Amino acid sequence: MSNRLPWWMGGILMSGLLLLTFSIFGADRPIGSSTYVPYFAGIIFDLNPENYSYLKHIEASGSWEGIMLLGALFGGFITSVFITKSFRFSLIPTAWKTYKNNSIASRLLWSFFAGFIMIIGARLAGGCTSGHFMSGMSQMAISAMIFGGVVMVTLVVTGRLFYNVKGKK
Amino acid sequence: MADIVFINEHNSSSMADRLIGMVESVIHQEHGSVALVFLIGVIFGGIIQYTRVDKFEKIAGFAMLKDTIVPKMLFLAVGLTSIALYFMIEAGGASYHVKPIILQGLIIGGILFGISMAILGKCPGTGPISIAEGRIDVLVGAIGGVLGGLVFTLYYDDFFKPLMGESLGKGTLPELFPGYEHLTVLIFGISVTLIAIFIPKLELFDEADLRKLPDETRPDKK
Repeated sequence: MSNRLPWWMGGILMSGLLLLTFSIFGADRPIGSSTYVPYFAGIIFDLNPENYSYLKHIEASGSWEGIMLLGALFGGFITSVFITKSFRFSLIPTAWKTYKNNSIASRLLWSFFAGFIMIIGARLAGGCTSGHFMSGMSQMAISAMIFGGVVMVTLVVTGRLFYNVKGKK
Repeated sequence: MADIVFINEHNSSSMADRLIGMVESVIHQEHGSVALVFLIGVIFGGIIQYTRVDKFEKIAGFAMLKDTIVPKMLFLAVGLTSIALYFMIEAGGASYHVKPIILQGLIIGGILFGISMAILGKCPGTGPISIAEGRIDVLVGAIGGVLGGLVFTLYYDDFFKPLMGESLGKGTLPELFPGYEHLTVLIFGISVTLIAIFIPKLELFDEADLRKLPDETRPDKK
């Protein structure tokens, strides 16, 4: 068995999963994967939804995505162990060493910072790559197209400025 | 007195109770059974892991324009789904769940999201799949994310909600071309699919993963 799927197979399978999730025979809703984060923050820090309007607002989609996340962790783990054989503990990605630096402290600090603003950004926009880009653009939503355009441009500009890409293949 | 006892009990709910509450909430939602939602997650995680788009080299690689697997796969999924979903909805097999156009939120949020996606090399969907294959740096990013979620929750009413601004409604592209909805859908779906196909294929591999594979199955040696 091959250890990776080509991009076109991934696109077709992801499309099938989106349609199943949207369908009334499936979940009759879009796929999303950023609402679960504040939902879990509410659980971990024991915040009562009665006191926080945002937790009340996201209770239904947060719990739905929470269950989906548990499935995703399970599916990702099983696939990484048995199919892609990529399971290993690591602290710093190979390309970070090539294009940024060799410092584990630098990678961990930047990861923490990026994770922090990523969730604030996703919640301000009301979605992420899954909710806006995949599910939203599939519905041809104007909101998703604005978000997708802003993210694409910012992503590539940040990639140019943050990493040392010149003179390296 | 009874009221006070009730409130205290509610406030001191344990984490186990909250997790049971999560399952119960899904049971009562009518958005698929708990088993189906879990299965959707398993397939989602499996596809992301099997196509390797959870790798730092794929998303940060795209930010550096050295890898295009993520946009090719995303655009293809969107192109195919947009056409199929439109006709599925017309046939009564699904319905629209369009997110509102909250302009300031979308732009400020999109900028923050784009910057962090380039630095972390993950998004909230691919991050957990990386953690599931042992990436500790992404786990640290997730801890940052949970704190971000906490800050957003705590200051939602006072700061973030006013920052997002007002909703301009829930528009979709076909609504902008009344009378030509079907044509708009077909043009959009086919164009996006063609974009996916015509984006030049670039790949940035991770030697640390490739080393574990037998030579004949290494994608960089084909």
